[in-house]
Amino acid sequence: MRKTMLSSAFIRSKLFWAIVAELLILLVGFILRPDFLSIQLRTLSDGTTVLFGTPVDIFNRASEITIIAMGMTLVIALGGTDISVGALVAVSGAIALKFLRWDVLVYTTPGDYTVKPYYLALLLPLMTCTLMGLFNGVLIGKLKLQPIIATLILMVGGRGIAQIVTNGKQFTTQYTPFKFIGNGSVLGIPVPILITLVVILAVVLFVRRTSFGMFVESVGINPNASRVSGLRSDTIIIIAYVLTGLLSGISGLIYSSRISSNDSNNAGLGYEMDAILAVVIGGTSMTGGKFSLLGTLVGSLIIRTITTLVLYFGVVSEAIMAFKALIIAVVIVLQSEPVRNAIAKQRSKRTALGGEARA
Amino acid sequence: MPEIKTMTITPGRRMRNLLTNPKYLMVYATIGIFLLIYLFGALLYGGKGFTSVRTFMLFFSDNAYIGISAVGMTMVLITGGIDLSVAAVASLTGMIVAYGTTVLNAHPLVCIGAALLVGVGLGALMGACIQYLNVPPFITTLTGMFFARGVCSLISRESISIKHSLIDAMAGFKIYLTWPNAQGEWVKIKPVASIDLNIIAFILMIVLGAIILQKTRFGRNVYAIGGNEQSATLMGLPVARTKVLVYAFNGLCSVLAGISYMLYVKSGWNLSLQGAELDVISACVIGGVMLSGGVGYMIGTLFGVLLKATIPAIITFNGSMNSWWAKIFTSLLLLLFIIIQRAVIASSQRVKKKE
Repeated sequence: MRKTMLSSAFIRSKLFWAIVAELLILLVGFILRPDFLSIQLRTLSDGTTVLFGTPVDIFNRASEITIIAMGMTLVIALGGTDISVGALVAVSGAIALKFLRWDVLVYTTPGDYTVKPYYLALLLPLMTCTLMGLFNGVLIGKLKLQPIIATLILMVGGRGIAQIVTNGKQFTTQYTPFKFIGNGSVLGIPVPILITLVVILAVVLFVRRTSFGMFVESVGINPNASRVSGLRSDTIIIIAYVLTGLLSGISGLIYSSRISSNDSNNAGLGYEMDAILAVVIGGTSMTGGKFSLLGTLVGSLIIRTITTLVLYFGVVSEAIMAFKALIIAVVIVLQSEPVRNAIAKQRSKRTALGGEARA
Repeated sequence: MPEIKTMTITPGRRMRNLLTNPKYLMVYATIGIFLLIYLFGALLYGGKGFTSVRTFMLFFSDNAYIGISAVGMTMVLITGGIDLSVAAVASLTGMIVAYGTTVLNAHPLVCIGAALLVGVGLGALMGACIQYLNVPPFITTLTGMFFARGVCSLISRESISIKHSLIDAMAGFKIYLTWPNAQGEWVKIKPVASIDLNIIAFILMIVLGAIILQKTRFGRNVYAIGGNEQSATLMGLPVARTKVLVYAFNGLCSVLAGISYMLYVKSGWNLSLQGAELDVISACVIGGVMLSGGVGYMIGTLFGVLLKATIPAIITFNGSMNSWWAKIFTSLLLLLFIIIQRAVIASSQRVKKKE
């Protein structure tokens, strides 16, 4: 009895439909191209073995969005949104490349190509993005500004800052430790995937092993009641935005390392939209409250799988958006309250009828 | 039927209300800061022609597409919604007209008709999705944006220029501003300033939007929904119809904005106007429209657009500053305005508590 109730609740959950959607998309890919799901080990020219295959590629390419979306899940669960993450990705890349470049200018001889305090090239961007997240958090948590508008400030201003940091120039770097972040691999697994897994693990532990996750849901469901019952909702909101800022910084490092360059105009363009979509497809409601980090991961993978699938058919990359929109529209309509209730009602009617017949 | 007592509104009382009602304060703040920044520009670059009628007219014609779109956006924001698809729909309009006239050799009016059908249809569809399926406006219109952008790229990835006598005539239409010289003849003012179709459309749309919002039952319903949707439903107002219509009207505004932009650049490009939806939204916010719904005026939006236009103008007149500074100043301006908004709300709440 209990088991059937649990499973019907699971069927009514958005996460279930997200997983179904992802499996369906993968199945379509598999039917159209049987090698779509194959994974193999390949040895590169430099002797390292790397996992190859579309699933690995999907996970790898989804890492930038997945990492941001982890923070975004908390922000959305608190009833907010952060649309500045794309600009923060650009800022992170700009500062990292500026720093690497700066050191290269100090060590002019090509043989002496060592960036001295290399960790600073990673630390500075992360610190800046964390501070920008703090800025968002203070505006929203302390000054009670509307999240979309408060983060719009950095979304507009962030790219301007990124341009000013690099003086509008695009730098490239061949510094191997930096390129390793986006292009390297450990034990055959691409580094971005490892970073993503570490981030997911860290966020899940932080959220579920401490009471933070419960606080977030409480504030998301009813901020006033939470405040009255003694929760410091403004601190919780600030932590969520700071975390999102930091994660955007990490994502920015992966992106700029992948392209070995900074691109203040295009880095992270549209990431805020993709991250929000990933969260919503994953089953976290835009109105706040309960959230699902696993769902967000599935949502992010759905978005990337659609992109990969459409690219397979040689559709121009800009037109992918149309297909993405269509599939996402289907997922969202399936997940919408009236439709889910209708499906659940149909099922319960059928089981009720079946029960009668058996009795 | 019981007699309803009405309060007589004397001109004096109306005037006092107009000056002290906190809901108008944001509009005054926008107009005031616009005048301040304009004065600042005039003091610094008055000699270079910042104060000329020509520059002032360019504020309007260079930003007409933002302004036209902002009219629809203002209404959507007043209902408490948001529409992220406006720039993509405007870009799609340009693509449809460019592809239709240049590649398919169709008459531009037919293409514009098709674009209107697509834009208004998509708007109504999104409105229905928001109203009947309870999908948040942000997500619905984001999907709409992806769809419109994607279709743009499906039509063509390259910029298509538009060559048609009607479009040329529309783009070239100008009324030159004149004044009488010493001999009493009407001559063009110097530097030459003119009113083009974009300026006319911009002003007409603002006036139309203001009339709809202030003078019609539909407009009252829009404010009521933004104030409290549940109360509006309980009062028996046609909430569903109004919301769908607001998004459809916004679709219409996006198409008109697209036509305005097309006349400005005379081509269609799948990546044109990227990110312009945020320009439109921030113009509305600077103009005192509140994203929580229920508050906003067309006159505020008009000055929001003008205020956003003066900053790049000042930076261009300066000549030595990077155009990126425009972004940073715009974001600072946004910050200033939302803090003012916050203060106004806080003070009006304090007044309410005292009463």
